[in-house]
Amino acid sequence: MATYDSLFETLGLKEWCSEGASSGPMSMADLLNKTSGKSEQPTSLWDTPFPSMDALNESCAAFPQSRELTKGLEQGFLAIKDSLSLVLDPLTQPLSWALDGALYAMLNTPWWIVIPVLLAVVFLVTKSWKLVAFVGGSIVLLAFIDHYDYAMQTLAIIMVCAFLCVLLGVPIGIAMARSNTLQRMIIPILDMLQTLPPFVYLIPLIFLFSVTESKLYGIAIILYAIVPVIRLTNLGIRLVDKDVIEAADAFGMTPRQKLYKVQIPLALPNIMAGVNQTIMMSLAMVVIASLVSAPGLGVLVLRGIRNLELGVGLVSGLGIVILAVILDRVTKTSLARINVSQKQ
Amino acid sequence: MTRNVKISIKNLYKIFGPTPDIALEHARQGMHKADMLEQHNHVLGLRDINVDIHEAEITVIMGLSGSGKSTLIRHLNRLIDPTAGEVQVDGEDIMNYTEEQLRQLRRERMSMVFQKFALLPHKTVLENAGMAKNIRGYTIEDFEGDARKWLARVGLEGNEDQYPHQLSGGMQQRVGIARALVSDAQIMLMDEAFSALDPLIRSDMQDLLLALQEELKKTIVFITHDLDEALKLADHLVILKEGEVIQQGDPQQILLNPGDPYIEDFISDINRARVLRVRSMMSKPDPEETEYAGDISEKDNLEDVLRKSGGDMTLNFRVMRGGDHVGTLHMKDLALALVPTPASADRSAA
Repeated sequence: MATYDSLFETLGLKEWCSEGASSGPMSMADLLNKTSGKSEQPTSLWDTPFPSMDALNESCAAFPQSRELTKGLEQGFLAIKDSLSLVLDPLTQPLSWALDGALYAMLNTPWWIVIPVLLAVVFLVTKSWKLVAFVGGSIVLLAFIDHYDYAMQTLAIIMVCAFLCVLLGVPIGIAMARSNTLQRMIIPILDMLQTLPPFVYLIPLIFLFSVTESKLYGIAIILYAIVPVIRLTNLGIRLVDKDVIEAADAFGMTPRQKLYKVQIPLALPNIMAGVNQTIMMSLAMVVIASLVSAPGLGVLVLRGIRNLELGVGLVSGLGIVILAVILDRVTKTSLARINVSQKQ
Repeated sequence: MTRNVKISIKNLYKIFGPTPDIALEHARQGMHKADMLEQHNHVLGLRDINVDIHEAEITVIMGLSGSGKSTLIRHLNRLIDPTAGEVQVDGEDIMNYTEEQLRQLRRERMSMVFQKFALLPHKTVLENAGMAKNIRGYTIEDFEGDARKWLARVGLEGNEDQYPHQLSGGMQQRVGIARALVSDAQIMLMDEAFSALDPLIRSDMQDLLLALQEELKKTIVFITHDLDEALKLADHLVILKEGEVIQQGDPQQILLNPGDPYIEDFISDINRARVLRVRSMMSKPDPEETEYAGDISEKDNLEDVLRKSGGDMTLNFRVMRGGDHVGTLHMKDLALALVPTPASADRSAA
């Protein structure tokens, strides 16, 4: 006798309920009740359970239990999985190649080439010797404690993923800035990507792709890190001074000229702020992605946690901090250079 | 001088709101702006505007904020499309233009100067000045000579490689004017171009504009809310109130014969001696009259004449245009003209 028996009786669904009585697996609560020999006690009003799926199932066996919801989702996903990966696999294959290529290039080029090249890039975008010295010092320190390979793997993954984020994110942001409908459609997706715990969207990815493929973590990182660059591109273009846009129209610019000569240059400080955030978020994700075989410093952190190797965890954590500081300073300084040249 | 009509605005209506066509009927039947907003939730921007803008003249459209003057000027290059009516440029109705024709019009026949300058902050002064040419596909080598010439003409020699934010407001607006001039367009639209500048600089800029106009004879449409500025610049003055033209014509005539209490309020406290000119005061040359205290030009304002007369109100002056004797100015008429028209009754009561 369960609480909601009367409900089904009044609705005249008794028959349908008993039809559905199946010998499905017993719930733990039922099992406990059975073993303790207690039969169901009529509950007082105070203890009335919420009419949830499970509670209704107790009164009417044909009513689905809530575990069937999760099971249904899983089966649904598994059902479309094959056709989905048939489409997604070739589409995302270049990502695997890019990641593998970057990792291979980074690790197989001798350190005395990689480090100067990195420093040259830093100087090119920041024009600051102080920063070059700082970055050089940090990398030498990491290399000295034998973390050079791990750090370079992490860096290679971040560079590939952040580059792809910008490549995809900026056009999406521009499209959003041009259409309010598109903006209304994309913003909930961005909100979801940003709030979903990163571990959660690793799960369907694991089903879709083999864990040995590097695109698995590549996609996870891109999904997680692409949000800020899209948001800030959209915002930046929408914030471009209306008067300047009007002047562009009044002098007869085509939409394309307006985009390249006015909107993108004026939105550049915001877009670069988005790029900075995107790089920082890829770094955060690359650590988590080591759960699905992403190489780099994250692997050491994971080892530290798994084996409780305090020293390994701390040192690699510190390495990540150093990488983060380097990436942040370099992108912020180049952002500041852009800002100076466009002060209104 | 023949006065060719360059731009002609005919029966122009603009109504802002979700269903302007329905509201248009009410506007045509004469519904008031306030009623329209209250009953139909539409804003009457412009009602039945008819203005002819003549070639090589400065047409000033004056009105207070909310009178629709900025809306009106944006119809001339279709930054805003009207709800009904025509805008003809050189006899062609630009409402029928395709996008490409419209772009051509904006690139080659019209230029615009903005209240907030609207320069490109990431481009140098030189590149900004050449913006119109750059849009048409010229490279900086092609327009550099032109741009430098006009920048020098507006007084910005030596600032070519600076960025807009390094210049003061007045200098930025000079870049704005140079940008309009480099485009070689015959029509210049100036949307409150000097309103954001402080009074001294504004006066300088007005002089600059008049000097340029003397030389270039462009067709200029100038928007302002400042009556002194309007009177100083206008060959033809259009006064807007709540989206309607309440009077238009020669500014001197408007000043002497205000057609509406609203305009009387406007002109009641301006310096008439500085604004009124001899030509609107003089009488026909009188062959009997031989006693002249001196010659004055018809373009002189009354302040000049007062100074010349030394305050003697009994004198007569001979008025000259070029070398011809075109009229006589009696100081008595001058003195009378200086008495301001009284402000309209409701304002004096208030």
